[in-house]
Order: sequence, then C-alpha cells, then structure tokens
Amino acid sequence: MNRYKNGLMAASLAAAMATAGSAAAQEDAIKFGLLQDFTAVYTFVSGEYNQGQRDYLTLVNEEGGLDGTMIEAIVRDHGNEPQRGIEAYNRAKEEGAVLFDFFSTPVSRALVDSVLEDEVVLITALHGRGDASDGETFPYVFPMMATYWSQATVLANHIEENEGGLEGKKIALVHIDSPFGREPLPVLEALAEEEDFELRNFPYPSPGNEQSATWTEVRHFRPDHVFIWGAGGGQPVSVREAIRNGISPEDIYSVVWLAETDAENVGADTMAGVKRFEATASGTDTPILQRIQEKVIDADLGAGDAANVGTSYYNVGVASMAVAVEAARLALESEGAPLTGPKLKAGFEMISDFDAEGLMPPITITASDHQGGGAGRVSQWNGERWEPVSDWTAAYQDVVQVEIEEGAEAFRQGN
Amino acid sequence: MFYRLAGVHHTRYQSARRLWPVPADRWQVLFLLALAVVAPFFLSNLYLGSYLLPWLIWSAAALSLTLLMGTAGQLHFGFAAVMAIGAYSSIHLVRFGVPFEIALVGAGVTAAVIGSLFGMAALRVKGLYLVMATLAMQYLVDWVIINVPAISGGAQATLRTPTVSFLLVPVDSLVSRYYLALIWVVLVTLFFLNVKRTSFGRALVAIRDKDFAAAVIGVDPFRTKLVAFFTSSFMGGVSGAILAFAYYRAVTPEQFSFNVSIQLVAMVLVGGLGSAVGGFLGAGFVLLIPIFLTNLVAWLAGAGWIAISANLIAHVPLMIYGALIIGFLLFEPLGLAKIYDNIRKYFLVWPFRHSRS
Repeated sequence: MNRYKNGLMAASLAAAMATAGSAAAQEDAIKFGLLQDFTAVYTFVSGEYNQGQRDYLTLVNEEGGLDGTMIEAIVRDHGNEPQRGIEAYNRAKEEGAVLFDFFSTPVSRALVDSVLEDEVVLITALHGRGDASDGETFPYVFPMMATYWSQATVLANHIEENEGGLEGKKIALVHIDSPFGREPLPVLEALAEEEDFELRNFPYPSPGNEQSATWTEVRHFRPDHVFIWGAGGGQPVSVREAIRNGISPEDIYSVVWLAETDAENVGADTMAGVKRFEATASGTDTPILQRIQEKVIDADLGAGDAANVGTSYYNVGVASMAVAVEAARLALESEGAPLTGPKLKAGFEMISDFDAEGLMPPITITASDHQGGGAGRVSQWNGERWEPVSDWTAAYQDVVQVEIEEGAEAFRQGN
Repeated sequence: MFYRLAGVHHTRYQSARRLWPVPADRWQVLFLLALAVVAPFFLSNLYLGSYLLPWLIWSAAALSLTLLMGTAGQLHFGFAAVMAIGAYSSIHLVRFGVPFEIALVGAGVTAAVIGSLFGMAALRVKGLYLVMATLAMQYLVDWVIINVPAISGGAQATLRTPTVSFLLVPVDSLVSRYYLALIWVVLVTLFFLNVKRTSFGRALVAIRDKDFAAAVIGVDPFRTKLVAFFTSSFMGGVSGAILAFAYYRAVTPEQFSFNVSIQLVAMVLVGGLGSAVGGFLGAGFVLLIPIFLTNLVAWLAGAGWIAISANLIAHVPLMIYGALIIGFLLFEPLGLAKIYDNIRKYFLVWPFRHSRS
C-alpha cells in the first residue's frame, strides 16, 4: 500500500514538474496574435499573407529564435466581424500576446482604442487607418509599410518621372465606393493642383463584380492613365473592363492589391503591361525567401501549399513579420526580457534602415513616423510575373503628411 | 416535482395574470437576474466583456426585431440599418452637447421615425415584397452613412464615442458599461413580455395572423402596423446606441452592414419567432457559437487531435455551425425557444408523464 502511495506521489510530482516545465517554456515564448479574416471578405489575401507570416516565424524559430526565445503565433479566424475580433483580441491578450495583426479594416478600427489603452502593439500593414502613421497620436499602432496615400503618390511619381510627366494629363481614379476606395482621393487632388493634371474619380458599387456602367463613363473621359483602387474580386473585373474599353494595359496602375491570382483570372497574357504599386519584392530571389524555402518548406514545416511561397501576398506577410521580429530583437537587446507591449513599441521605434535583406524598401520608424518612410516601387506584369520597373522610392511625402496630420488631429478630437 | 404546481391556487385575477404565474419560473428568472447582476464579480474581463456584454446587447436587438417579426408578422431585413441610425444619431447628439440619457431617447426617436418611414411600405406590401422594401432601407442607409462624411466621421469613416455618464455614473469602465447594457436588456424584456398582454399586443397578433380579419374585428391595420414599426425601430435604435457606447466604442459603417441584418434575422428565427426566451437563446446561438467553435477547433488542432490545413481549420467551424442551424431547425422548426418549452413542459409534470397536457 505504502509503495503504491509513494509511486503515486512520485508520478504526480513528475507530472506536476512536467506541466510546470512546459508552462514555463510557453511563458518564455513571445506571442504574436495573428487574428485574421480567413472566411469572409479578406480571403483573397489572408491565406497567403498568413502563410508567409507563419513560415517566417518558423524560420526564425528554426534558426534558434531570438537568442533562444521562441516566437509563437496565435492564429484565429474572426470572419471580419468586429465582435469576434474583440473576443479573439481579449483572449489572445490574456494568453500573453504583445503584438496583434487583424488584417481587417473594421476590426482594426474597432480595436484601435483598446490597443492604445492596453499598451500592446498593433501592426496594420497595408490596411487600417493611414493616419496612424502619426506615432505621437497613435503610439501603439504601426502601419510600417506605405499607406494608401503613399501608394498613390508613388504611382503618380512614376508617371511624372517615366511616362512623360503629369502636367496636362488626364488621370482617372476608378475606385470601389467605400472609404477604402476613396482614400487616395484627397492626396491625388492635392497633386493635381500641384502638378497641374486633370483628375476625375469614378466610383463603382461594392463589391465590384459589375462595373461596366462605370467604365463606359471612363471611356468618355478619355484618360491618359487610369488608377484602379479596389481589392479582391473587383480588381480583375476592373482590369478586364479597362482593356475592353480601349485602355492600353500599360496605362493601368493599380493599388497594391493586384497579384498573380488576379492575372490568372484576367488571363496572364491579356494583363501583360499592367502596373501596380508593390510594398515588397515578389518571387523567391531574396535571401529570406531562399532560407524559408530551404529550412521551412524543404524540411516540410511549411504552413500551407508550397506553391504559394514567393507570391506577392505571401511576401507581404513575410515582410510584416520580418519587421516585427526585428523590432522584438531590438527591444530584447536594449530593454531585456520579458518582452512587453511598451518594450516592443520602443523596439519598433528603433528600427532604422531595415530592408529585410532586400525584400522591402529600407524603412526607418521613429517615434513620430510609424509609416517608416512610405516607400515602395512600381512593378509591371510581364505575362509571367511581376517585374520591378522602378527603384524603391517615396514621393510627395509632404502631401501625404498633410493627410496624416489632418486625420490624427480628427482622432485627437474624438473621431 | 421541480415546478411544484400543487398548492398554487390563484384566487385573484391579479395573481393569475402575473408574468410568471408558476413560482418555480419566477425563481428561475430571479436567479438568472441575480446571476447577471453579480456577474462582474465572478467573471473575468474576457468573459464579461467579450461574451456576456455583447450577448445582452444583441439579445435586446433581437427582442426589438422579434416584436416586429414574431409578434406583428412584418418581415424586416434591414434592422442593422435601424441600429446604425440609432448609433450614429446618439453619438452626434452627445457631441452636440445633449446629455447621454436624452441622446439615447433621441437615438430611438430618430431610428423610429426613419424606420416607420420605410415601414410605410408595409401598409401596401407583404411577405417577400416587404423584405425587398426593408432591404432597400438597409442599402440606402449604408449608402448615406458612407457617402456623407459629416455622418460617418470623415475620411477614416470611424466615429469614436465620447465619454458620457448615465444618471451621474460615468460610463467608461467595463463594469459600468455592462450594467448599462443590463438595464437596457431588462427594460426591453419587461416591455416585450408585457406588450403581449395589452390591447396593442393583441392587435399585433391579430395583424400577424390575418390583417383582413383583424380589420373586420376592428383593428386598424394602418395604425397598428405603423406603431409596430415605430416601437420596434425605437427599441432597435436605442439598442444600436447602447451597442456603440457600451460595446464597440468606435463606430464604423461595416458594423451595421447587410450581414448584420441577416444575423439579426437568424437570431430571431433560430431563437423562435415572437418569444422572449427565443430572443436570448437566438442571440446567444448566432453570436457565441461561432466563437466557441473557432476556439474549440483551434484548440483541437493545437493539441494535435485533428491534422488539417490552416485554411480548413478556419472553415471547419463554419461547417459545424451551418450543420447545427440546419439540425436545430429540422429537429424543432419553431426554434430554440420551443426546445426550451418542450423541456419545461416535460419537467412541469415529471415524473408523471401520463398527466402531460
């Protein structure tokens, strides 16, 4: 009887130690809450984007983590519904996550206040509020890549420098009728005044499956260049309608949301010549992507279909995590473990000239500029892949800054 | 045995006509109410703020809608727009300097006026055609909010709720926001339960069952339908304002999109048309089950119980959820409220099943 008792006690002690050990190991890990929309509106990007994020985190962990500290991703679906996003955020926060990425404009917007209150980091790469670039007003929100305003200026700058200047041109902005679609408008209007070109905007109704009426109007306007501003299913429709209405593919410029899948949907050859803004290099030529291929994909640790590796959105995901991990590394180096929200924020603001080994433009994030410079480049679909046709540049940031300040001012006053 | 009907004698009409004539029901309701009142003291912020609080507010919204759809039989597929009107007008009223208590009433009145304008369609059309008319309301309101920056709050289309106080208590902490929502849902529930016993409530039921027949027996369909839209939209508008101030605290147009209208209709249908219990159960089902399922599947996958791709993990909860809705409606077409009713009736006479009526 006694022996049994002792055995039982030893076993339970061992079990207790084992659970305590694993609990300690889990507490050490840095947790990132990647709570995204995999089932509703953002499915066109979130699958590949999230796969890139997780593969990059796996790579970091495979290479020994941050001085032995592993990074753990908490991945949940919130279906683009704010109430589910709020639940997922609160749960992940209780589990100890210090960084959040919702990749959904409504959810990010609904949670900006909570994030500022709880002092955890929210990254809003290529979505969310552009005015969050103002780090003084939004200390814990990091757009960290070019906002939609900066994307519009980079595209306009490309016309100015490589397509014979903006002056006297007619430019059409064809956009989805939503706050997102309207976002580049004030910046382009300011530019139209500054550079003396004619701008007209043509909204098409959401979700953008049907745009023929809009494009007939665009044809009557006879634009020299067309900016298409939509996302998901509306984008291939825009390209197809533009070409059908006699606009040469070379004159079509797209927001960042135009990828390999869209080219397939339009027809890879038909779309040849179309240009878009890109925030990160696509393809697998960069060192980080090659290491992912070697240590994650070839080792069968990938988070999804290997065919997605190197697509545009996959690389955006990799870049977003590269910046976040770099921030965590800087934070741990200068502030020490354990990593908290305020430390991670300080880490983000220490990032300087970081280009993820050539995957993205060099960004420098400061306490006042959370956009990181707003650089990007223009790439062109050549029938098979996206080929860069410009260098990484930022353009007309003075005009963008006006918008940022205006938005931040409105936020301070309660909007 | 559990309900102890023996010995319950109603010697006065007053006691026979109480909301819960059976003492056991009364005790259950009081127990649940007491639980809800002390919930902030034993629930963590996660469960209070992300489960109970939204559940209460959505229950109030579902009850507002079920007054129209369940009791009066008028289909409404644009109820999220009604809530949006309430949310936006309350915020703008508060910003204009109106005290929060009055802004809530103002939100209700605005939503009620606009809601009954669209409800006028109900005076001429019924059924699917009324669905179309209310859908038009949803899209018109959405369009106006998105296209009028003065309403939506400028280029970012986000409007944050100002800090307010309700009856001198500041509404900023989670606990105070929870109690605000609790007060509202209790008021709505009491109103809903009582309205069925008034002449107005009986007129609504008469209109639902056959409006010609109702007209013949002296119920004015014009007035009754309009007042139904007005009352329901008023409650929906205030619920929208409470949702904005107590839960979201930052309002964007997407929070009141067409999907939300469909969710509200689903709450009412899954819960059971025209029943107060159904409003609560339906709201809980539509709101919370997807969250539970997402967490459950993620946990199972994390523990290595199901080895499937990440994309599929995100979709499995949806499949289960869909199957659950179909399953429940096949099992009991009258909704969750009817299931509750069946269980209650079973225990009412347990263990003497033969005496079941």
